Amino acid sequence: MYLEIVTPEATLFKGEVTSVAVPGIDGEFQMLNNHAPIVSILGEGKVKIYGDITIEKQYADRFTKGEKDATILAINSGTIEMNDNKVIVLAD
Amino acid sequence: MANLKEIRSRITSVGSTMQITSAMKMVSAAKLKKAQDAITAMRPYADKLTELLQNLSATLEGDSGSVFAEQREVNKVLIVAITSNRGLCGAFNANVIKETQRVAKEAYAAKEVNVVTIGKKGNDILSKSFPVAFNNNDIFDDLTFDNAAAIAETLMQHYAEGKYDKIVLMYNSFKNAATQIVKTEDFLPISTAQENSGAAMDYIFEPTKVEIVETLIPKSLKTQLYKAIRDSFASEHGARMTAMHKATDNAAELKAELTLTYNKARQAAITSEILEIVGGAEALNG
Repeated sequence: MYLEIVTPEATLFKGEVTSVAVPGIDGEFQMLNNHAPIVSILGEGKVKIYGDITIEKQYADRFTKGEKDATILAINSGTIEMNDNKVIVLAD
Repeated sequence: MANLKEIRSRITSVGSTMQITSAMKMVSAAKLKKAQDAITAMRPYADKLTELLQNLSATLEGDSGSVFAEQREVNKVLIVAITSNRGLCGAFNANVIKETQRVAKEAYAAKEVNVVTIGKKGNDILSKSFPVAFNNNDIFDDLTFDNAAAIAETLMQHYAEGKYDKIVLMYNSFKNAATQIVKTEDFLPISTAQENSGAAMDYIFEPTKVEIVETLIPKSLKTQLYKAIRDSFASEHGARMTAMHKATDNAAELKAELTLTYNKARQAAITSEILEIVGGAEALNG
């Protein structure tokens, strides 16, 4: 599925991923391929991206590596929208 | 005819002014490019947020119940005037100041008007005629979303507490490097446009629609303010670039004029010198 992580200052990541786990305000949840369309709000926590991805060099210091080859981005709050296998995370 | 030395020193001083103005023009051009890139970079976020919010409010039955959407009778107005910290940018700051004074006098004549000034130039003038709720000059040193969000939060708090019944933004919006348009934008209360997009998407909302709208509204307000400040910042550099370009042109014209006068004066001096020598020689011969 296609993932886009957008902040007010830049688009940090866009590309194909296997799955993504996000910190919902009522707990973490994971989105896989063909998840139903959803709109939700995120709390403080980590966005974990699974899959073989490359981060643009200029934003590389914003991301860290986690277990199981997860790429992690820490956020304060955010919004997530998934529709038609396209996930958009508005992070700030 | 003015004296030669005087003209020469004027030519030198105009020349060095020209160097300064053209250097400032270059600096502004570089900063303008950066500022424009930042505006482009924030567009995807702002667009998506607006789209989400519109979709949600359109499908929401009844009011969102948000305190920020609450329309009150307008008695106290807060004008957020965004200017710059530095001058030498043409009418950039004067335009915002004039528009603020005009709006306060005409649109909100019988109301109590307070101002929030962002930027030193606006604060210098506006603080003389209006009570200033608060002032922020530091934001331009480090123009990040978080810093703009902090100001937006203070504004929201003022509104929620009922200190003001209406908050408007006043800033130079960026059209292109040479043109800035003074814009007056309603900040609070927000207008919940009941546009029915028709195609209400079948989403799962987690937690509820109302809760999502309530979190999205502050975010969109922060984005609105950030965008306004960003726009003003790009406009500032555009205005300064144009002003400095004109100044450089004027200096070049002045320099050419002075050089002409200088050469005329020099020629006149030589001519009179020759006349004197010839006259002297004639007298000896005679």
